[in-house]
Amino acid sequence: MDQKIVFIKDTGIENDRTKDYYALFLNLLRENSLEDQVQINRVADIGIYNQGLVVKIFEQDVIYANVKEEQIKEIVLKTIKEGKVIKELLFQSPPKQLRIVLRNCGEIDPENIDEYIAKDGYQALNKAVQENKPEKIIEELKKSGLRGRGGAGFPTWLKWKLTRETPEAQKYVICNADEGDPGAYMDRGVLEGDPHSVIEGLILAGFAIGANKGYFYVRAEYPLAVQRVELALAQAYDHGLLGKNILGSNFNFEIDIRLGAGAFVCGEETALIASIEGRRGTPRPRPPYPSVKGLWDKPTAINNVETLANIAPIILKGGDWYAAIGTEKSKGTKVFALTGKVKNSGLVEVPMGITLREIVYDIGGGMISSKGIKAVQTGGPSGGVIPQEYLDTPVDYENLQKLGSIMGSGGMIVMDEDDCMVDIAKFYLGFCVDESCGKCVPCRIGGYQMLALLDKITEGQGKLEDIEKLKRIALAMQKASLCALGQTAANPVVSTLKYFFAEYQDHIVDKKCRSHKCKHLLNYSIIQDKCKRCRVCLINCPVNAISGDKEQGFLVDPKICIRCGKCYEVCKFNAIAKE
Amino acid sequence: MIKLTKNDLDKIKAAHQDDGRDWIKVGMSTCGIAAGADKVYALFVEEIKKRKLDIQIKKCGCQGMCYSEPSVEVRVKGLPDVIYGKVDKEGVIKILDKHICGNTLVKDSIYELRTKR
Ligand SMILES: Cc1cc2nc3c(=O)[nH]c(=O)nc-3n(C[C@H](O)[C@H](O)[C@H](O)COP(=O)(O)O)c2cc1C
Ligand code: FES
Repeated sequence: MDQKIVFIKDTGIENDRTKDYYALFLNLLRENSLEDQVQINRVADIGIYNQGLVVKIFEQDVIYANVKEEQIKEIVLKTIKEGKVIKELLFQSPPKQLRIVLRNCGEIDPENIDEYIAKDGYQALNKAVQENKPEKIIEELKKSGLRGRGGAGFPTWLKWKLTRETPEAQKYVICNADEGDPGAYMDRGVLEGDPHSVIEGLILAGFAIGANKGYFYVRAEYPLAVQRVELALAQAYDHGLLGKNILGSNFNFEIDIRLGAGAFVCGEETALIASIEGRRGTPRPRPPYPSVKGLWDKPTAINNVETLANIAPIILKGGDWYAAIGTEKSKGTKVFALTGKVKNSGLVEVPMGITLREIVYDIGGGMISSKGIKAVQTGGPSGGVIPQEYLDTPVDYENLQKLGSIMGSGGMIVMDEDDCMVDIAKFYLGFCVDESCGKCVPCRIGGYQMLALLDKITEGQGKLEDIEKLKRIALAMQKASLCALGQTAANPVVSTLKYFFAEYQDHIVDKKCRSHKCKHLLNYSIIQDKCKRCRVCLINCPVNAISGDKEQGFLVDPKICIRCGKCYEVCKFNAIAKE
Repeated sequence: MIKLTKNDLDKIKAAHQDDGRDWIKVGMSTCGIAAGADKVYALFVEEIKKRKLDIQIKKCGCQGMCYSEPSVEVRVKGLPDVIYGKVDKEGVIKILDKHICGNTLVKDSIYELRTKR
């Protein structure tokens, strides 16, 4: 039974929802007595968007896009029946994603070290210890152009070189798996899906800088990641990939795991080090950098999960291979946690230099609703918003910074017309205020004051002078805070002010929130023409703000109303106005 | 404790290459488990045992398609590798009845196709 398999994707075709392409196909197959030789399937997703009706024929591996109704017959007769390809309809586009960090995620069993080894796992480590030239690893990384994926984008080779060159017998390496930014879960994905790739990277880091002890700092809120890393470490010890005389060489290396108690600031390297040492997780001024004075005052190289997952492929395939991917100053790929109002939320890995538009539309499948895209937020609480006009900007460290955002660790939140930019700024700032360790004044007091101003604005009490105050405090925080938490905390406010000043003005001058997010600026009322007098709103109002009767109709009392939106939700006749 | 050497790495690698058996793979990361992947996995194990099917059941990490969890990838010889999304208990039974036992893909629940590897 050698069946041909045909997939059709007819979702997302805006103009003719009434057409049943599946039935059309089936009828044509029947007419040509092909129904027994062909399996036809309608699929929800084929990874191709905004290309109309897409048809994929398996076995021949051809993909047709933008297929018109009248062309279906041709496809059935030519391609399906005779096996001929119709050139004009062919869809050819190189895949947008490129998986280096996520190479094994979703492929192998993360709890089985053998499956990792089967995918060339620990071959890079083997190569390194056999050659026994640690400097060569650093050299290879320099060629690769790899920069830290934890946020700041510091060249990894340089960090390793500096740590290596600091004269001291005892050195450490640390894997930073604290991942605390709201909206980001790339590192969790890697640790849960392919823990050995990170472990191998950490061992290689130890080998390159001359350390024999490494730590995994994982946040305790990631219990599954912790469990998988623990299991993976035990397997690596068992196989002699950790411990003494690794792979028959004279290199010894051990890794311990430390759990973070879930403070965002503990992701900051000096606070993280303090936390491992058993002290309170607060940052200290740098320099000295950890590469000189780190864990227990010894030279320490601290790297992000994703950075480390890149190391083994670079060592195996060479720095030049890696450097061929990406843009001039940002090499390789980046994993993003694509979330928000996008259809396909999930983890994506793309070469640097791809545009935001490609990520949102070609990979993410576009917006969930018909509401237009307003902005993309990158970099979490340290980042900013990139308005829709700049969607065609190639994504790399420099470009995002120029736009007033940052690459950050890789959260990417897509926002539409329903998202209020003042509210977004308030959310991120509120997060930093909660998470500030309180050690330094600019961050502790500045953040609090800015938040108070934003509260005032979203409650309709704001004045135009408040904008100037916001900007002044933001500058003070950027210049004078102790660590990057405080230095970057104002970024979301600064960037929304830059691109969406009109929305601040709306809130302050017109006392309106155009996205209907800020509830103090909302008014609910009943549209009498549409109201069917069903009383559902009255029954559901938790504070009895709605009164009236079936003869006279109903009214909302704005003095009692708490703007919970319940009436809006329950009304079946769209008779509640929200403005 | 067995100390591996280079040859052992190569041996493990060789031993774990694709043996041509059919398999079912369930994405078991936090995103999948939150959506019910552990129950899906358990049901597969139970049903495969009950029906005495010759198919491997495996776990894997996040495939990146968090919007369609729990996701289940299936390889059956002669059919393309497909990923089913939003698989529930009924979905498990359908996959087993149709895809594994009937050599027919389950309609309307395929979320991604893998090209031949
Ligand atoms: C408040 C704050 C939180 C941070 N959180 C993380 C984190 O969760 N993970 C991470 O890798 N780096 C985090 N960093 C960056 C680290 O300080 C450090 O730059 C990074 O771990 C270096 O690794 P890389 O060079 O591989 O990027 C954070 C920094 C700050 C200021
Ligand atoms: S907590 Fe880091 S700047 Fe204050």
